[in-house]
Amino acid sequence: MSSSGGLKMLARALAASVVREGQRGGADDVAAICTTEDVKMIRFSNNQVTVAKAWRSSAVSVMLAMKKKVVIGSIEDLSRGSIMKSTDYLLKMAKATRPNRDYVKLPRGPFKYAIFQPSLRSIQSSNLVEHVKSTICSATSCGAKRVAGALLFRNVSTTLETSASAFGEDTISSLEISVRAFADGDASGHANSCARVEKDFHPEEAGKMAAEIAKKAMNPVEGKPGRYDVVLGPNVFANLVNDVMSAASAFNVDAGLSFLANMLGKKVASTEVTLIDDGTLPDGLNSRIFDDEGIPTRRTVVIDNGTLRSYLHNSSTAKKFKSSTTANAGWIVPQPWNIVVEGGQADDETLLGELDDGIYITNNWYTRFQDYRAGDFSTVCRDGLFRVEGGEITQPLKGLRISENLPRLLKNVSALSKRRQWIKWWEVEIPTLTPHVLVRDVNLTRATK
Amino acid sequence: MQRIHLNLGRALESRDQELKEIPEFAINYAGSLGAKYSEVRIQKDTSNATIIKNGEPQFSGFLRELGLGIRLIINGALGFASTNELDKTSIAETILSAASMARASANTLRRPILLSNAKASKAEWEVKEKRKLSSVGVEDKLKLLLDTDKSFNIKGGPKFPARILSLSETVTEKIYLNSEGTHILSRIPRVAFSFMVTAYSPSKGTAQRFNKKGESGGWEAVSSWNVPTFASEEAEILASVLTKGKRPPKGDLDVVLGSEVVGIVCHESCGHPFEADRVLGREAAAAGESFVKVETLGVRLGSEHITIVDDPTIPDSYGHYLYDDEGIRASRRELIKNGIVNTLLHNRETAAELGIESNASARAVAYNREPIIRMSNTYLESGDHNFHELIEPISTGVYIKSFMEWNIDDRRFNQRYVGLEAYLIRNGELKHLVRNPVLEITTPRLFMSVDAVGKDIAFSAATCGKGDPQQGAPVWTGGAELRLRHVQLGWA
Repeated sequence: MSSSGGLKMLARALAASVVREGQRGGADDVAAICTTEDVKMIRFSNNQVTVAKAWRSSAVSVMLAMKKKVVIGSIEDLSRGSIMKSTDYLLKMAKATRPNRDYVKLPRGPFKYAIFQPSLRSIQSSNLVEHVKSTICSATSCGAKRVAGALLFRNVSTTLETSASAFGEDTISSLEISVRAFADGDASGHANSCARVEKDFHPEEAGKMAAEIAKKAMNPVEGKPGRYDVVLGPNVFANLVNDVMSAASAFNVDAGLSFLANMLGKKVASTEVTLIDDGTLPDGLNSRIFDDEGIPTRRTVVIDNGTLRSYLHNSSTAKKFKSSTTANAGWIVPQPWNIVVEGGQADDETLLGELDDGIYITNNWYTRFQDYRAGDFSTVCRDGLFRVEGGEITQPLKGLRISENLPRLLKNVSALSKRRQWIKWWEVEIPTLTPHVLVRDVNLTRATK
Repeated sequence: MQRIHLNLGRALESRDQELKEIPEFAINYAGSLGAKYSEVRIQKDTSNATIIKNGEPQFSGFLRELGLGIRLIINGALGFASTNELDKTSIAETILSAASMARASANTLRRPILLSNAKASKAEWEVKEKRKLSSVGVEDKLKLLLDTDKSFNIKGGPKFPARILSLSETVTEKIYLNSEGTHILSRIPRVAFSFMVTAYSPSKGTAQRFNKKGESGGWEAVSSWNVPTFASEEAEILASVLTKGKRPPKGDLDVVLGSEVVGIVCHESCGHPFEADRVLGREAAAAGESFVKVETLGVRLGSEHITIVDDPTIPDSYGHYLYDDEGIRASRRELIKNGIVNTLLHNRETAAELGIESNASARAVAYNREPIIRMSNTYLESGDHNFHELIEPISTGVYIKSFMEWNIDDRRFNQRYVGLEAYLIRNGELKHLVRNPVLEITTPRLFMSVDAVGKDIAFSAATCGKGDPQQGAPVWTGGAELRLRHVQLGWA
């Protein structure tokens, strides 16, 4: 297997040759991104490891534009013959296709990029297994009968070169664990820990937290449908603001897939809500120093105290919306890097204390929209779900679903906790730093038996 | 069996001697490290896609993936590793990595991972392209999409201000080898067309529709769909839903579900909970578990009208395969037979745990993904009613023909389907359109409430999500229309 230095040289050479060949073939713009991934994952269930996985791959993604005709290729077959053949194929495609009138030329570099502190680059398999063992042990010692989850280590190196003189290299690594503990058949809890450096990684605490939720969730009763004041745990709000940020992508606004269309400068949430995209965070799992067009990443306030301030843009969407790029390219679809929800003033307990007769929802899954433009959606409550009366958890519940309108829910946010937590797991694709959130008058429904 | 021609095979043969020896080398090397079992899959995926938005070409693109995945059992533990650096040194290090991770995790096991018995197979299979995908250029695909986009324009009707249309194709080639002597070569092309559109009326607001066609085969499949006509019909329906849909009735009603809705029900409420890895807890952390237990086999879950099948052998289907990714010959599985839980979907690991043989449900979507239990084409078997007979005895009810929003809990017990195209049924006749009827119901209640099933089966194409990392697998969902008696209907 190639050394990391060798891979870096290979990535540089590949990016340069793709850009050169593209220009030689008549392209006006070429951008090449070479990615080398080294990933290890340990999945566990029923208190034991089910599979240990490792994958390593190198890939080149290419965007090529010729008279505004845009083609994109992703190549994981990195033989020289394949790369050249693929570049030729892209050029032929570009000649045959039709212009994208929204396309604008790649931004002209060179750019000056920040330098991130290096994070952990590799980790022994045996250390990963030890993390899993201690997580399972931590959960079972707190009352879990069964523990399941996935531990992930990623090291990703990215090299970008464009025909507009942008060149950058970046490496990021991270550790993530997602833990689900079961105290009995219907009682489960979920927690996670994710970090860029091992000292900030706390799998045992995640195991403990998942088990504590599961224990509290034992012997649930069927929840009653109705409108409730609810406290959404960080898992739930992270899941929902992933959809808000997707709606903030200018591509989705243009495609009719956003309830934020035509809302710039207007109130889209309560004044408590400030939502930020930040590609520059040293502890962000998805930080990168440049976007896919080579622009240095930045911090973008999307919702500022309830008012929509910005969409997420690449150069082309920015021009279409008469705005500036926010360094969120995506050659076609602007994407968030890391999502940050500003914290509030309350302690977690104080938030629960606001509920005279409400519900605490610790996790959710399967969020689906009936109409992205209107924001009508539902999502299923999962794991610990609790009735709260007089500010105290009085009864574990099951079987409820949030059936709401996302703009309405955002406007009904009443308070946020001071303490925040990074969330990333199966249901939260973009890493999100978020507090607990109190939302008034939320519609909860349930299935008929 | 006729010898098939793999570009992948040619790619390997065209390189140096070392590459030709990769599969055997990998198996032998895994054995030398102490693996009791190993399997190697070299997989090449070649995809093309063209996308337009609001009548503007966005981009045309392709994906080329070629790599090797190896799965092995060592000291009773399971390891998987992959690489796309196809030289012996890289492959050896990949296998070493899988072996060392498996070894390190072995002491967490209460009992070793076993695989069910399987007869060694040697086979080659492929799906032919009657019209080669490579014979259709990007310009033709773009023209078809742009022509289709014009279908979303109804004179005097609501506007369609937001439209995304795409055409895609993928050719998947695999060489599979395991340490028990199984050797399978396969080639399968798949094509798909999908759209997401928004209809808008100043007085009525918006309505949205996603739909997808997908099959295995060549361009002849796309031709058979008559894409512009299909889109035109969908546009008319969506416009009518937006402008004519009224509030549906609420309460204890009879409901008829169309094939599209029946398909998602079969997939979510039968296919997923019948995946044995969920039943045994292996997917508990992410995709979830199941209300079905091993003890549920033989228990009644639905009325006698319910027979739900998962069948990967349906020719031209989107979820088609003839051997799974553990080298087991595919077959038709009756998951629920006349209302009784009949069989689960198994791979060799779950089958061994139950002391039976695998029914070939292991699928991996790329070289760098482990094979896990997946559905293929899951559908409700036909009954004996025509549509008129289904609605005829209903005094007040709703016919839900299609849907947009849906979800289900991670035990697959508590689900919600929100209708898109839906009609009031009054005194045995279809009346006006109704908007957003909501069926929120448990799985047993849904299946036990069925008292009649239609004669005709139809399928929809979908991408099923499962696994960590996620693996999006092509599937068909579908079946015959069915009638539910006395269920609670609401509206969103």
